Amino acid sequence: MAEDSPVKIVKQDKGIVIEDDWPGYSLDLFTYPEHYHGDIESVYIPHGVIMDRIECLARNILEDIGNHDVIALCVLKGGYKFCADLVESIKVLSRSTNRTLTMRVEFIRLKSYLNDQSTEDLHIIGPEDLSMLRGKNVLIVEAIVDTGKTMKALLKHVETFQPKRIGVAGLLVKRVPNGVGRLPDYVGFVIPNRFVVGYALDYNEYFRDLNHICVISERGKVKYKL
Amino acid sequence: MASYLEITDDEKGHELSLFCVPKHYEEDLDRVIIPHGLIMDRTERLARDIMRDMGGHHIVALCVLKGGYKFFADLLDYIKLLNQNSDKSVPLTVDFIRLKSYSNDQSTNKVKVIGGDELSALTGKNVLIVEDIVETGRTMQTLLSLLTECNPKMVKVASLLVKRTPRSSGYKPDYIGFEVPDKFLVGYALDYNEYFRDLSHICVLSEQAKEKYKV
Repeated sequence: MAEDSPVKIVKQDKGIVIEDDWPGYSLDLFTYPEHYHGDIESVYIPHGVIMDRIECLARNILEDIGNHDVIALCVLKGGYKFCADLVESIKVLSRSTNRTLTMRVEFIRLKSYLNDQSTEDLHIIGPEDLSMLRGKNVLIVEAIVDTGKTMKALLKHVETFQPKRIGVAGLLVKRVPNGVGRLPDYVGFVIPNRFVVGYALDYNEYFRDLNHICVISERGKVKYKL
Repeated sequence: MASYLEITDDEKGHELSLFCVPKHYEEDLDRVIIPHGLIMDRTERLARDIMRDMGGHHIVALCVLKGGYKFFADLLDYIKLLNQNSDKSVPLTVDFIRLKSYSNDQSTNKVKVIGGDELSALTGKNVLIVEDIVETGRTMQTLLSLLTECNPKMVKVASLLVKRTPRSSGYKPDYIGFEVPDKFLVGYALDYNEYFRDLSHICVLSEQAKEKYKV
C-alpha cells in the first residue's frame, strides 16, 4: 500500500470579513466611557476580539519574518494602539518560541482626514529623515486603510530611503469602490465603508479613548464636527 | 509630595533565572530590578491618582517619544479602564511630541518641541505629560515653562522612573512610579541603542554588555 503523502494546504489569511449589513453589538452589552453616551451607535468590533486577532497577526508576522531585525514604522496617531498591542503580542509570542525578533519602533505622523472624509492632501509630519530604514526590514503599522491613497503615498515615501523589504500591517481595511494600491500583507478585519471610531481611531481627535471599535452616531458627528 | 516606590541603592533585585527573559539577553543582564508585573501594578495606581486629581476636566495626554511610548500606552489603558467603568468619565485626547535637548556653551539647557498638534489645543485643558524617566529634570522644567505659555488649565507630569542622582536639578514630577538608583537600567521602556525594548522587566545592564551594544 502506498503511503499517503501529506497534503500541504497553504492558507492565506486575508482578514476577518465583516459584511455590509452587520449592525454591530448593542451598547448596553459592553462598557464604554459615559461621556460618549449617545455619540456612538453600536459596538462594531469589541476590544477583546481586536486583541485576539492581533495575536494571530503577530504569529503570522513571526512566522514570516522571525529571526530578522524588523523596524516597525508606526503611523501616528491612529496607529499607536494597534502598534503597541501588535509589538507586545510579538514579544510575548517570541518568548515562547525559538524565533527571536528584534523589533524597534519608529514613528511617523500623517494627516489626511477632515471630519469623516478622506482628503486628497497627504501631510507627512516628521521625522523627515527616515534614513535609519536603509537596508532594513520595515513593517508599516497602520490602523486603517481606506481609499488606499495615504498608504500609496507613504509607501512611495518610505521606498526613497531604500529599505531591504517593506511589509504592511493594517488592522482595518475598508471595502471601497475606488480603492487603489496594494492591500496590506497582514490584515485584521475587512470592513464595510462606514466611518468607525475607537481603539485610537478618531473623529476630529475624539473617540481615541474608546477601547472598542464603534460606529459613530449622527448626533456624534454633529457634536464633534469642526 | 508625590509618593513613589523606592528602589534603594543596595537593592539586589532578583536573579534572571527566576523570571522569563529573552534568551538573547541572558549574558547581558545582571539582575531583574523591577519585574514587569510590579511596573503594571504601580502604573494602575498612578492612573487612579491621576484621575482623582485631573478627572474633573478634559485631559490631554502628551506622550514624549520615543522612550515614553510604552509607559504611555500602559498608563492610558489603565486610565481608560477607570473611565469606562464609572458613572462619571472625562474626555481624553492624546498627542505625541519629541524633545530635542541641546546645551549651548553656557550649559543652560534648551529644549525644542518637535511634532504635536498646535499648542493652542492645550489651552484651558488639563495637560498630562508622560515620560519614561527623569534624570536631571532640566528637560522637563524647560518643557513646562514652554507649555505655560499656552495657558492650560493645569499641567502635571507623570514619570515612570526618577533617578536618584547628584546631577538632579531637584525637580520632581507630580506622579512617580519608582525612584531608582543611578545605575545603567534597561528594559520595559528603557533601551540601550535601540536594544532591550523587547525586555519586559527593568534590569541592570552588565559592564560587558555596555561594550557589546555600543554604537
